Amino acid sequence: MAELKLTGARKSFANIDVLHGIDLAVKDGEFVVFVGPSGCGKSTLLRVIAGLENVTSGEVLIDGERVTHLPASERGLAMVFQSYALYPHMSVAKNMAFALENMGLKPAEIQARVARAAAMLRLTDYLDRKPKALSGGQRQRVAIGRAIVRDPKIFLFDEPLSNLDAELRVATRKELAALHAKLGGTMIYVTHDQVEAMTLADRIVVLNAGRIEQVGTPLELYNRPSNAFVAGFIGSPRMNFLPAVVTSDDGTLRLTVGERELELPRTASGLVAGARVTLGIRPEHIDVASDTGMLGATVDLVEQLGGEAFIYASAPGLPQITLRQDGQSQFHRGDAIAIRFAADHLHIFDATTGAALARP
Amino acid sequence: MSDAPTAARPQPGMAAGALARVAVLPVGLALRVLDPPMRWLQRAIGVRRMAYVFLLPNFAFFGLFVFLPIGINIVFSVTGGTALFPSERPYVGAEQFAYLFDCGSYLDPSSCREDHFWRGVANTTKFVVFQVTAMVLFSLITALVLNMKIRGRGFFRAVYFFPVLLSPVVVALIWKWILQRDGLLNAAITTLGGQKILFFVDPGWAMFWAVFVSVWAHMGFYTLILLAGLQAIPADLYEAAEMDATPRWRVLTRITLPLLWPNMIVVIVLALIKGAQTFDEVFVLTGGGPGTATLMVVQYIYETGFASQVQNFGLAAAASVVLGLVLFVLTLLQFAAARRKEI
Repeated sequence: MAELKLTGARKSFANIDVLHGIDLAVKDGEFVVFVGPSGCGKSTLLRVIAGLENVTSGEVLIDGERVTHLPASERGLAMVFQSYALYPHMSVAKNMAFALENMGLKPAEIQARVARAAAMLRLTDYLDRKPKALSGGQRQRVAIGRAIVRDPKIFLFDEPLSNLDAELRVATRKELAALHAKLGGTMIYVTHDQVEAMTLADRIVVLNAGRIEQVGTPLELYNRPSNAFVAGFIGSPRMNFLPAVVTSDDGTLRLTVGERELELPRTASGLVAGARVTLGIRPEHIDVASDTGMLGATVDLVEQLGGEAFIYASAPGLPQITLRQDGQSQFHRGDAIAIRFAADHLHIFDATTGAALARP
Repeated sequence: MSDAPTAARPQPGMAAGALARVAVLPVGLALRVLDPPMRWLQRAIGVRRMAYVFLLPNFAFFGLFVFLPIGINIVFSVTGGTALFPSERPYVGAEQFAYLFDCGSYLDPSSCREDHFWRGVANTTKFVVFQVTAMVLFSLITALVLNMKIRGRGFFRAVYFFPVLLSPVVVALIWKWILQRDGLLNAAITTLGGQKILFFVDPGWAMFWAVFVSVWAHMGFYTLILLAGLQAIPADLYEAAEMDATPRWRVLTRITLPLLWPNMIVVIVLALIKGAQTFDEVFVLTGGGPGTATLMVVQYIYETGFASQVQNFGLAAAASVVLGLVLFVLTLLQFAAARRKEI
């Protein structure tokens, strides 16, 4: 177990900057998830931590010790690769023992560690098999086992579930969470799947175009995103973003949204009449209103999931709005509905920079 | 009006398109001519039998230039005399083979009735052992180096492959000019104050250069096979090995070589087959000499069948059959190796 600290970590390939000065501290025993869209630099950041890529500038510290220029082999970290990266010509036991042999441990110690990890990961019956004779989930467990046996300072996971089917992904996700609870090691996990991030992380680091957008607990990011990017990335279906214009801010904030005026019983700093903003509201914070005085919309599509339903509706002058309803919806395509925003869950973002101006 | 000259200027793409259309014209014509009879044939014999119709030209070609000569060779090996036409040759059964294999001791060629054949066998065996060992070793080292991120990698890959494109005779002539008594190498040696070495007079040197030139000429091909194998090893295995703190030597012996082994087997067996067939390079380089020091089996066959005053087709054919059987076994080995490629 160890702490990790990155200060001003930059990475460029040729003349292309991939990481623009990352500052981050990961606490001992913490499960931190890097999340972001493809190409945001999350895997590069993980590889920089691992030592598989060198930083162009900045520092990497593990337990306060500078490891910036140490090769991967000397950092004492373990990594689980997206492709598993199991040695195809070695048995499961050999795969797990390989790093221990490199460390010069005695055969009895190696055997004990492998047996312990195999029991923990339900791999005891497969120790003599080659990786090609295993299922995707079993291979992934071997890859995790290979990391566990080394008792590394930090576990690094590079999109470890992305090659598994949906059902197995959910099951392995739960196993990973249980494993972290049991081992208590520092874990850094890269994914583009915000559900994995939300369910596994103690803290999430949201990355975009090589920069950290926000760091926080899953619910902090969900409830109080610091900008429109984080608000849009965290949560499924994503938050609705509606263009709005401030009409007045005299203790009560008034906004024009589409063809309607909205009144919010709070204010936001720096907002003046005429300012253009983006209103953010999550699908579960929009209700279908019984009165017709609210925003009028037409149902474009209804997705019935059994326990919940998503309604996609259009309102004049606004982008399509997504609503979530508990249970099953009685609405159909083409129905006229009135919708109401839960005022205390409205987010206001700067229309240009996306920065949060007012949060619930 | 100002656009007119531009519009009239021929575009490179247009020219290529026109050229391609002209090039495929005969094909289109042939297809149009062949279409009605092929349709008629398909109706007559059914779709499934049409496969054999399409295979027929290849079978005919292969039969005429491969199977028929093999058959003729076998006929020659069991007949005697000096006549060329099989019908005029008397049947002698296994007499030619008995003559070939009539030895006091197979380890001592001079105790054999046909000592040149056994000297050829001994030389070829020695040549193959040294050549295949050197070939695999140097191809492997070269492939490992060319697989690294070195400056000018593309250039070096081309350079190492270049000798493969040369005719064996050209290769041998180039090295003959370098190695002969007044060749480049002796010029360099004497310039440095040394004595001339008569490379083609000393049996040891002659065999050494025969092996060296053969390795030089063919190494590029085997390097390419091994390089392809190295590139097929996923990069993340090396990253996993790095994370596992694997020393470099152990990466080579525990990861690279085991994963490259299927390609190595192919290289070893192919090199064995090529080595056993060696003729032209060594023949032009040393003429089989000094004496019979670099006489190979194929050279023996050539000389017995065609170059000696009494052309003994039967004996040459029998030796060919023996060599053919050895090559057949080696080819089976290669097939088995290729089938085992999957890890």
